[in-house]
Formats: sequence, structure tokens, C-alpha cells
Amino acid sequence: MTRQPLALTINGEIHDVMIEPHWSLLHVLRHELGLTGTKENCLEAECGVCTVLLDGKAVNSCILLAEQARGRSIVTIEGLGDPEHLHPLQAAFIEHGAVQCGYCIPGMILSAKSFLDERPGRVPSEAEVREALSGTLCRCTGYQKIVDAVIAAARQMSARPEAARRAP
Amino acid sequence: MSARPHRVAGKRLKRIDGLGKVTGKYVYASDFALPGMLFGKILRSDEAHARIVRLDVSRALALPGVRTVLTAKDIAPIRFGTAIRDRTVFAAEVVRFRGEAIAAVAATSLEIAEAAVRAIEVEYEPLPAVFDIEEALKPGAPLVHPGWSDYQALPVFDREGNVSGRSAMAGGDVEAGFAQSYRVYEHHFTTQPVHPGYTEPRTAIASWDGNGDVSVWCNTQLPFDMKNLLAEVLDLPASKVRVVVPGIGGGFGGKLRVGVEHIAAWLARRSNRPVKVMTTSEEELTDAYPRQPTVITLKTGVSEDGLLLAREARVLLDCGAYANSGPATAAIALQIVAGPYRTPNFSYESVAIYTNKGATGSFRAPAGPMGNFAVESQIDLIADDLGIDPLELRLRNVYREGDKGPAGDVLTSVSIEDSLRRAADAIGWKDRRPGPGRGKGLACSWWLTTGGSSGVYVKINPDGTVTVVSGAVELGSGAMTGAAQILAEELGVDLTDITATDVDTNLSPYDYGAQGSRTAFSVGNACIAAAKDLRRQIAELVAPIWGVAPETIRLEDKGVTSGNNRLSLAEVAALSQRTGGGLISHGTSIQPMPVFDPTRVKNHPLPAWTSHSFHTHAVDLSVDEVTGEVSINRYVVAQDVGFAINPTYIEGQIEGGVAQGIGQALSEEIVYDGGRVSNANLTDYKMPTMMDMPRVECILIEKPSVNGPYGAKGVGEPPCIQPPAAIANAIAAATGVRIQALPITAEKIALARAQDED
Repeated sequence: MTRQPLALTINGEIHDVMIEPHWSLLHVLRHELGLTGTKENCLEAECGVCTVLLDGKAVNSCILLAEQARGRSIVTIEGLGDPEHLHPLQAAFIEHGAVQCGYCIPGMILSAKSFLDERPGRVPSEAEVREALSGTLCRCTGYQKIVDAVIAAARQMSARPEAARRAP
Repeated sequence: MSARPHRVAGKRLKRIDGLGKVTGKYVYASDFALPGMLFGKILRSDEAHARIVRLDVSRALALPGVRTVLTAKDIAPIRFGTAIRDRTVFAAEVVRFRGEAIAAVAATSLEIAEAAVRAIEVEYEPLPAVFDIEEALKPGAPLVHPGWSDYQALPVFDREGNVSGRSAMAGGDVEAGFAQSYRVYEHHFTTQPVHPGYTEPRTAIASWDGNGDVSVWCNTQLPFDMKNLLAEVLDLPASKVRVVVPGIGGGFGGKLRVGVEHIAAWLARRSNRPVKVMTTSEEELTDAYPRQPTVITLKTGVSEDGLLLAREARVLLDCGAYANSGPATAAIALQIVAGPYRTPNFSYESVAIYTNKGATGSFRAPAGPMGNFAVESQIDLIADDLGIDPLELRLRNVYREGDKGPAGDVLTSVSIEDSLRRAADAIGWKDRRPGPGRGKGLACSWWLTTGGSSGVYVKINPDGTVTVVSGAVELGSGAMTGAAQILAEELGVDLTDITATDVDTNLSPYDYGAQGSRTAFSVGNACIAAAKDLRRQIAELVAPIWGVAPETIRLEDKGVTSGNNRLSLAEVAALSQRTGGGLISHGTSIQPMPVFDPTRVKNHPLPAWTSHSFHTHAVDLSVDEVTGEVSINRYVVAQDVGFAINPTYIEGQIEGGVAQGIGQALSEEIVYDGGRVSNANLTDYKMPTMMDMPRVECILIEKPSVNGPYGAKGVGEPPCIQPPAAIANAIAAATGVRIQALPITAEKIALARAQDED
């Protein structure tokens, strides 16, 4: 199949790739660019481990064509914060014991970021968090500590918005 | 046990692998890649039981980009299996379930490999199939393995025809017990197959080097078992096989046995290129290691005041087309149907049975939820019939310290009464039916901490940090963080000073593996042994320099002290490197096996449990009057953990285990339509989401075990055992409807209610 050029803006950097038109964004991230922080499981938008941000909104990268991301801004877990400068969500997930095997965690954190960014300055209720993040399956935690971490991060982000803004 | 208060162990510290996991830098097996890697794909059977009359791979081989196509005739004809060597890498002449591997392709892209698999031509001649375990036991039933008697098998199991294993336990005189009983109850229960549901698919990348050695990077829970298995099916000495586990995205017992590792290794061998194979959700739900479905019959005799006098139990367990851990799981079911109850007269039998469905395995607490659903549902049925409160009935019958288990082994550190009372208090048991459509239920159980040996190498580095090299995989439970907390405690360092390496069977010391609630327990004990040896090494090095007795040397606050003398641990490690090759020790542990009465046991590989734990779940739920939908208001777990090494991650184990148990109770089922799985995707296989889960209130009881590190007991498996029974009991309290077949869907409740009203 003929490959076509595509420029993708990922974590603030432009990546020029040659893609086949039917490739998913997930495929390009993991297999072409080596950005394996975005995880792969069901490939039909049921489990949520492949979640990335597209123009700030959480999307399942397994069912999004890479072509659909042309000209838009993509954020993956690698772009959220590094070990020295964690995003408040990343710090809260560790602090609250919300991480076990960790395979769903990149998707879970990015879904949470998308959700919290839609309502800046507001601390969501537990029910709101559960509804917003119910698209990502976690089999380790029973979700409770994830909910606690998201609410704690929301509290911190509303009190200190600059901590969250450092990341893209 | 240490006399002084703990500094690191017992604290809610952050896990040692957290940073990599929240930043996407932690490498899982599925993230792993090698230069020049090919992609493997598997052709699977469309028939449940059939002879392969034609298998033509020529069209697949002709596709550009296809490097290798393998079928049974292309590889060594070796049978393997956990209990019985009944399976081959590819089905040879006969397929025994729909989804069984027949061939595999390695190609330059996954898409080409998929196209090649579609291009393989197969013709089948269907054979009579059997899907139901009771049918499979009948004379004249189709045999899943007509050649069963020629298979090599562990001698412990009693096998015949479709019976892959039969086990029994008996004590007292069960007929006399029934004769003495005030009432005798008999009930039947059925449970469904459920998938472990790990989020990372099973993955393997295999690569052969110039010496004919193979390395396999994969997400197995048992790297040393995997090494031996691969050596067998590749017909190689074990020394030629190396297994590495970079990171693993959940396992829950579903990654104990070979998944795609053997196929990746064969494809890589034949194609002379590294090959990666990763399962899809469809493959996971058709050919993995789900929990076995069961049919359980319980007959229980009681005195007028509710004392259990006699019990007979029969557990039929559907192991699918290949036995794997089915016979052992059936055997463990005997301890589960005994329950944590004194029963003077008993006769328990279990039978693992072949059918033409997918193979099964050791999902978290194998046999636990099935047997417990039966026992704890029946206890409530008996309590209601006798007019005794279900909590009170349990308290009259549970084990006390020093009682004997079903195998005649003496039970120590028994805490079941405490867990029952605390869970009941927390849920507000006195008000068991707080309103219309609302009810509370209880279920209690016991479980073991699996034995097996562990080894660790512990190095103290010249910067004062500590490296643990273990053969145990961090599944995600935090077990290796727990073991590291114990090590930090013993060495006088902080948890943040410790790093644990990935498992590499060429480098790591042996470990029995991440299974059976044993990792923190056994690796923790090995760390204590390693620390003891390091203290000896350090004392021998430093005491002569200071002119003090070796016994006066202490490890504390990242240093070595004796009286007013002090060196930092970093200085001592550097000194050792200059003079003695560095500070490194090999610590090992093994759990002693309890004494039991062999006359009570037949064909059981694990008759007496080690370092048992006791636990009670209590639930408060509401049932929608019209739809039958269940919503959980509160969920309480009181679990004896012996010593809570890290309460945060113990809660994590409990919360996650309860979620899996709620899934089994209410929504999950691999649905078979004959031999075909009709819901092999994550839309129709319904695992609990964040919206389905209640908060779980954890009560950690700490009654120390004799053998665990600081008294710890195994934690990981128990939390998924009781949810089905506790929920069934609460639904019965709320609605008067008693469902004896899992899962308890809203539809079943609504239908049963409608029938009640008729």
C-alpha cells in the first residue's frame, strides 16, 4: 500500500511520519514513533487504555485514524509530566495508591485530565468522576483509589492552577 | 517478630514502581520490540470437535511478506500440560474446542500475518462433541481425549475417560451424622466461566541467538515454569531458554501458564527473525485460562440448634478441552466446600471433567468463589429455615484456635469469629432488612498462603542504595514494594533506597512465582534471610577495624554502628568492594508443610493449607422492584492479613478483588452457545466499570501467622471469594428470591420474582 506523509503535533513537537491511510493513531504512536506509554488492548474502544488527548479532549486512539489527527494537537502520557515534574494527577495517583499493574493508568490519567480541564476551578463529586471515567476499565484497583486520586488532584488544581498548567 | 516498632514495614508508603507507571515509561511485555521483528498470528479452529482432513497453507506462504507458516507437522510433536500432558502447540489431527490453535504465521506486518491466516485452507470432518459436564460423565459420551490413558500425568490424580481428575476428603461417619441430624438439606448450585480480565493482552517476543539459545520476553507470572515449559516444547535443554518479564499488565492467575510464548518461539526459530505475538480480546475470551464453571451439590445435616453434624459435597468442574489446572482446582474446592466450619462427619468429592470448550485455569483463588457461593448460600438457607440469624449460625460453627482442618491438620492463628463480628458490626447487621427491596448479606471463608521457595540476591551499592534481584514478578499488587519495605526495615534504610530488577531467568534466583497470595510473604521472608547474611558480612568486615565484638554491630539510619563508632552504609559497601568483592547476599525462604492425616485424603495435591487467612464480606444492597437491577449501597470486608505490610496496597488488593467478585456475582459470563463463545468481546463480556463499583470499606485484622514476615498472611486472592455468596444472600434478604446460579443478573431476579407472584 502507498504510504502518505503526515505531520502530527504530539506533546508540542511536530513528527513527520509516512503512514498507510487506514492506520490508527494508536498504531502510529506505538509502532512508528515508539511512544508506548499509550497502551494497546481491545482495539475497539471498549477498554480505554489507549486514551490520548486530541485538542484537549480524551479520545480512544485505537479507533481514530491517524489522518484524523492531522493539524490537531495530540497529548500522550509522555507529554503530561516527567518524573521530576509530575502533573498533579500523576502525583495524586501515586500518593493515593491508585496504581497497581499500571496498564490502564496512562489512559485513566488522560481521561481524568480531559474531564477536569472541561470544568476548571471546580472539584467534581465522586458520582461525576465515576461517570466521566467509566469508559476506562481497570481490573486491579476496584477504582476507589483512582476516584480518590482524581478528586484530590482536582482540589489541588483548583487551588494551584499553575501546577497543572506547566504540562502541555 | 521484631520487638521494636517498625519504621518502614507497616507504613503507607508509595510503591517503588509508581513513577514509571504514571509517566508511561514503565515497559510492559506488550511494549517490547526488537529490530527486524516479525509479527505472528494464529489460525484457530472453527469447529468444537472435528478431524482436520485438509490443511493447506500454500496460499498463505505465497503472500509477499510472509516468512513462515507453521502447523503441527512442522514442529516437534511434544505434549505438555500442568497436570496431564494432553495438549500440543498446534492441534495435530483433531481439534477439541472452537478457538484451538491449528497454525501460525510470521510476517513483516500484523496485517500481512492476518491476511495469511485467512488464506490458510482447512477442511474438517465434525466429530460428536460434548459441552455439558453431566453429559460428559454418562456412559457412551463422546470422549474428548480417546487416548487419555496414554498421556503422561501427575500420579496424584485419579483419571478415567472424560474425568481428568477426581479427589476426595472424608472424616467421621457421614451417614451416622445425617442419621443424628435434626434436619438435612440438599441444594444445587451452578457457577459460570469468568475471565481474569487483565488489561494487558498476553504477549511474547522471541529471539534466537547464534548459539541456538532462545530469549523470550513475555508477561508470564511464572518465569521459571515458563522456561521449563518452553524447553520441553522446543525440545531443548532448559539452559538454552531464557525468559524475561519486562513488566506485566495484570495476571490474576490467567498468566500462570503458556499463552503465546511457545508459538512465538517456534515462529522465531523457523523464520530466523525475532517474532512478536499478542492476543486479541476475541482470543482472550475463547482460548485463555478462565475460571472453570461448576455444578455443586451440598447435603448438610444440622442439629436443632444449628450445629453442623454432617456434610456431603460433590463438585463437578468443567475444565474444558485441556485439563491444565482443573484437577488441582477441583481438589482445592474440597477445602472450600468444607468452609471455615467445624464439621465432625463429612465426605467431599470433586471431579474435573473434559468438555469440548476452551481450556480453563487458575483465576485468582481457584475454586474459591464457586465453592463459597454454594456453602455460604446454603448456610443462609439453613439459618432461615431454622429461624436462626445467619450471623449467629455461623458463629456457632466456625473454627476455633487449635481445631483441625478437613485433612486433620491443626489450625493456628484462627480469626474467623473476629472477622465475622467486625464485618457484621460495620454493616449494621441488627437491621438486616432496612426497607423494602433492601437487604444485607454476609459470607465468610478461609484461604491459604501458598508455599514454594523464594530466593533473592540483595546487593548494597557503594552509594548506599540497595538492589534486590528476585525471580518473582511484580504483578501490580505491590508485593515487591511490600518485600522491599521488609528489606528496608531489616537493613535500616528507606524504601526509596531500594530498587528491584526485572526478572530474567538467566540472572535472577529461583522463585516459585507470583501465584497463590505468596509473593510478599515468601519474598519478604527471603529478604529477611538476605539481610541477616548481610549483617553478618558487614560485622565481619567492620568489627575487626573497630576492635569490637561482631554482635555489637547494628544497621540503622543508613549506617553501621557499634557504640560510638559509625560508618555510612555507602562507606561500608565501598570498603567491601575494595577489599572483598562487595556486599551481596543470597537469601532464601520456604514455608514448612503442615502435618496432616493421610487417611482423610484421596488424590489431593494440596491437602493441608499453610498460613491460612480468614475473612468476612458484608454487603448492603437494593434491588429495583421492576427491573431486578441490583445497586450496592455499602460493601465491607474484614480480612485477617496477619500483619499489614503496607495498608494502602492491601486495601488495593481487597478493593480490586471485590470488583472481580462483584463481576462474577452479577454480570460476567463467558457465554457458550454449544461450543461457540457468543460474547467474545469487551462490549458483551461485562466487567464492572467505575460506575458499577461501590466504595469498599476495608477492616484489616492483624492476627500474626507463625511463618509470615512479621506475622503477615497472604492477601491477594481472598477478596474475590465471597462477593457472589454475600450478594446472593443480600438479594435473598431484600427480595425473598434465592438465585442458585451465577451470575445473578437483573433478568434472573425479575423472572424469579414474577414466578413467585404466579
